[in-house]
Amino acid sequence: MAIINLQEVNKSFGKTEAVKNVSFEVHKGRIFGLLGPNGAGKTTCIRMINHILIPDSGTITINGQKVSPETQKMIGYMPEERGLYKKMKVGEQLLYLAQLKGLTRAEAKKAVNYWLQRFEAADWYNKEIGELSKGMSQKIQFIATVAHDPDIYIFDEPFSGLDPINSEMLKEIVIELRDKGKTVLFSTHRMEQVEQMCDEICLFNNGRAVLKGDLREIKSSFGKNTVNIEFQGDPSFLDSLEDVRINNRSTNFAEIRILNGQGMQGILETAMKHAEIYKFERVEPSLNEIFISTVGEDNINPKDLN
Amino acid sequence: MNIRQILLVLKREYLTRVKSKAFILTTILIPLGMAAFIGIMVAITVWDSEPEHTIAIVDQTGALYPRLVQLDENRYDNASSVPVDTLRSQVMREQLDGYIVFKEENIESDKNAELVYGGSGGFQLLNSLRDDVREVIRQERLERANVSEEVKKIYESRPGLESRRLTEEGKETDDNIGMLTGLGMAMGILIFGIVTGYGGLLTRSVIEEKTSRIIEIVTSSVKPIELLCGKIIGVGALAVTQVAIWIAAGFGLTTVASPVAAMFMQSQSESMKAAGEASGAVDSALFEIPAIAPSLIVLFFVFLIFGFLIYSTMFAAIGSAADSETDTQQFMFPVMVPIFIAYLLLFRIMEAPDTSMAVISSLIPFFSPILMVTRVAITDVPIWQTALSIVLMAGTFWGMLWLSAKIYSVGILNYGKSASFKELVKWIRQ
Repeated sequence: MAIINLQEVNKSFGKTEAVKNVSFEVHKGRIFGLLGPNGAGKTTCIRMINHILIPDSGTITINGQKVSPETQKMIGYMPEERGLYKKMKVGEQLLYLAQLKGLTRAEAKKAVNYWLQRFEAADWYNKEIGELSKGMSQKIQFIATVAHDPDIYIFDEPFSGLDPINSEMLKEIVIELRDKGKTVLFSTHRMEQVEQMCDEICLFNNGRAVLKGDLREIKSSFGKNTVNIEFQGDPSFLDSLEDVRINNRSTNFAEIRILNGQGMQGILETAMKHAEIYKFERVEPSLNEIFISTVGEDNINPKDLN
Repeated sequence: MNIRQILLVLKREYLTRVKSKAFILTTILIPLGMAAFIGIMVAITVWDSEPEHTIAIVDQTGALYPRLVQLDENRYDNASSVPVDTLRSQVMREQLDGYIVFKEENIESDKNAELVYGGSGGFQLLNSLRDDVREVIRQERLERANVSEEVKKIYESRPGLESRRLTEEGKETDDNIGMLTGLGMAMGILIFGIVTGYGGLLTRSVIEEKTSRIIEIVTSSVKPIELLCGKIIGVGALAVTQVAIWIAAGFGLTTVASPVAAMFMQSQSESMKAAGEASGAVDSALFEIPAIAPSLIVLFFVFLIFGFLIYSTMFAAIGSAADSETDTQQFMFPVMVPIFIAYLLLFRIMEAPDTSMAVISSLIPFFSPILMVTRVAITDVPIWQTALSIVLMAGTFWGMLWLSAKIYSVGILNYGKSASFKELVKWIRQ
């Protein structure tokens, strides 16, 4: 049974339809990616799952239960806009937030102590958040999300603003949580960041779920119609290629999506004439490419993807 | 609504603030500041002296100037031999503050004497001159009418009115209306200060949760209405704590200090009585410290709490609609208008607490917290009026809570820019 289930969910703010007729399921023990450009409706969707916003129509269930203050306690939520009480001490703050999630004071204390020790942060207990560095307060933020040991974890744009160390740590913990049988849902507009982590995805564009399912299956259904090329030399030959779409282009790298089913050998030949080839690899398309080819090049603003 | 969640919010709101330096400092400093303010005001009235004004007197009657000098040796200058034109130019050059020409007709008929002056001195000077002139002309008329010493004494005497208050229990007590009026006014002003001060604190508390973005984590655990109630009650409890500390400290101080004060007051009042008899001043008993009825203190807290509750719902809604503290100004206006009207009416009601205007305005729920408590302190307010105002305040609070919860639950997640009034109306209708 799906642990999170959205059925034909709609939500408008005034005249803006933020979420249009969205349905998807998240299965237990999997990492689920909610992907799409900024403003696609991901955060609205997540807020509805968290029972912060109420859908205009449609149903959302968690573990078979309609969303309610009870289902809120099953979820650990880290919003995109992160924050804590600046003037409050780390320990008190974490205790307060864990108690709001239904833990008794004693339980909360135990959990908070465990996590603070795990992050080697036990001596921050009596510090105010305002005194901590950004990286430190990101760790506290994470503890606030997980301390009540929920079954479901929802991270909205978890990697934005994280320093590389915390970013790596978060990836490890997400995978560790999945291995413990927990369910993780996160959203991001930086698709390339999460390709290796997601089991299932749902692609959002303009409030609609345009593509969903198992990431491996989706990728293989697109076939190996993409070339990753690494080279040294004048990159202008890339512009002369026809019937291709070039993503992730940089001075010595390009991801080339072959349109029209033309042969790849021709591209290799052209490339060899103009540059020294270090690598030429035929691969499945990236999530970025999948997204673009699903919604159509004209329907997106490429800036929203980066 | 889940009581457990409300209690958690309330506890956090209260405990983090009651231990804060700001709370401890304001608890100590506000009474000290008030005492200093009153001290300064008293010092000003005691030490402040008008600069000497010199008024030239051209006395064509010959009878009035000596009498004026008796009243004030320094102020009046005999200028009977100086031409009026010279006096005029002296006034114009500000060498002289003014001059009065007395003619026989001022004594013989009802024609008033005229003061020509440069405009300095204000009302205080004018009043005192008018009193002096009235006094000397009356004396001179009595003198000329050749009346007996007895009649003159009658004119000099100033009969007063002593007042005693008859309580419902049939006990006559010294009237302490002056003190009660002061007490009622102090209560009204205190409630005004607490409601605006702690209302502002609540607004900041709501904005803090918005700007620090903790709000989204909190709302993923707590319903907005629970959060709102917890915050209002928490900050309200803080306000009540502070006022209770002040009142307890006030009682403590008076108990300790009263023997000393009594001694001091006794010697003071004796000299005051001596002065009072001569000038016919207010009875000193009017200003004795009255025993404050416990029921009045209870009612004070009832009105303080309802006043805070009613206005706090609006202050919280303001916080949720604004994006930063500076943006709250535009919304503050409609909230501050009723409370300022109440504050201004307070001074009228203080003087006449039983007029129909006083009764009606003190029953209006937005005004009651300030006005009704003042009336209760000063005058006998019928029970039905007090009870009705409490019922009306309770009803108003529920209505305002409902409205503000609607704004609040949308507003707290509305980052980026402050809402307009149009949007607020839309949120309420949703």
